Amino acid sequence: MITIDCVSKTKSGTRILHDVTFEARPGRVTGFLGPNGAGKTSTLRILLGLDRPESGTALICGRPYGKLDRPLTTVGALLDGSGAHRARTARAHLRWVAASNGLPDSRADEVLEVVGLTRDARKRAGRFSLGMSRRLGLATALLGDPEVLVLDEPVNGLDPVGIRWMRAFLRDSAAQGRTVLLSSHLMGELAETADDVVVIDKGRIVTQGGLADVTGDHPTLEDAFFTLTATEADRPW
Amino acid sequence: MVSLVRAELRKLLGLPTAWVGLVLGTLIAPAVVLLNAPYIRRAITAGTLTDPSDLGLRDLGIGLIGPMILGVIVVSSEYTSTGQDAPGARQLTATLTAVPDRLRLLVAKTTALVLTVAAQAAVTATATLTLTQVLHGEHVPAPAPTRVVAAILYWALTALLAYAITLITRNGIVPLTLLIINSSVVSVSYLLTKVTDLASYLPDIAGTQMFLRDTDFPVEIAPVTAGLVMTAWIVVLLAIGLILFQRRDA
Repeated sequence: MITIDCVSKTKSGTRILHDVTFEARPGRVTGFLGPNGAGKTSTLRILLGLDRPESGTALICGRPYGKLDRPLTTVGALLDGSGAHRARTARAHLRWVAASNGLPDSRADEVLEVVGLTRDARKRAGRFSLGMSRRLGLATALLGDPEVLVLDEPVNGLDPVGIRWMRAFLRDSAAQGRTVLLSSHLMGELAETADDVVVIDKGRIVTQGGLADVTGDHPTLEDAFFTLTATEADRPW
Repeated sequence: MVSLVRAELRKLLGLPTAWVGLVLGTLIAPAVVLLNAPYIRRAITAGTLTDPSDLGLRDLGIGLIGPMILGVIVVSSEYTSTGQDAPGARQLTATLTAVPDRLRLLVAKTTALVLTVAAQAAVTATATLTLTQVLHGEHVPAPAPTRVVAAILYWALTALLAYAITLITRNGIVPLTLLIINSSVVSVSYLLTKVTDLASYLPDIAGTQMFLRDTDFPVEIAPVTAGLVMTAWIVVLLAIGLILFQRRDA
């Protein structure tokens, strides 16, 4: 369960988040949708304790991220890039992360297997393609077999096979009772995966609810999105 | 905490640059003893060597490049971009999601660094001083154990100094360049001692007086005081680094 309550944040004098409030529930995939720069990543970084909110709270299973003991066993997070230093091999990266949360070395090979990187275990992260980096990042998120997944643009850089795999993986995770929160600016993709949708624009939540409710009378989620965010499809900037 | 230190040791020793620091730092000082041997022999014969008990210990100074590299990269590796695809992505994200308690993280990092550098310093000091004994044994007194321990401590403190500065700058290039130039090419700290006596209390100048006797600094500082002066510098810089690390967005 993820609870974000009245989170606001100002960066370099500009308010980038205004009272952001929403929930992501167990057993469901919650899509966090918004254009580039809307505040998706900023919200997720606050949720993960990386950045500090100006006000408001972001809780995972009722506790702020910083108060979680061995956090990787509760939350798996995937942000920009893989998080692995370029000079490190995939396996070496996963092993130090595992060690930091008291997980056995064997978990590294297990998660490499899950994301299909077993043959690249000895390759340095700096030599990975964008898609492979995302897989390594996901492998890191899965190390502690967490009940909550927080994924920032997880399909970015994945090839069609990878995207399909990710979609199935997210659905499976929710089916097993996990809480899945993923951000995306790809509406077609979210419409395929999400149960619930939270739409953010210019740092404010503009709507949230079940996929069908948010889509409403509009033919697609995309149409609903453009109406809600008042972005003109033919003149977006 | 043990698992955190283990993770930090793995992280540090998994970096190729760390091994550059380990190998360079360990080999340079004994190599210099070997290269300088003919010159030192002549100096001993001519009687121009004022305090032979400094021999070997003084050569340890050149190896400081090792702890400097280690101290810098243990922090700078967290801030290096992980790839061109995502210029903002850094290892720090993985580190802080794994260990969100920043104070505990820094305690583990500091411990891992000190353990690594102390081990390196012990090996280097043993090699350098043994070599000095073998080459100039009859003229050089066996080094006092306290001075050897002080030299090892100086290495660890130098690594911590580099570490604390990098924690503040979040970038390894500037502190590493300045520290290496200052310790090898032109010692700005030493030149400053010619300008003001206060410069004797700079960390690197004070620190060397923990284990060297024959120095030409304007203010002579007793070994224990010298250690305290250098430690005070590091405590202040580390405190600033810690506060910034706690407050900054990652």
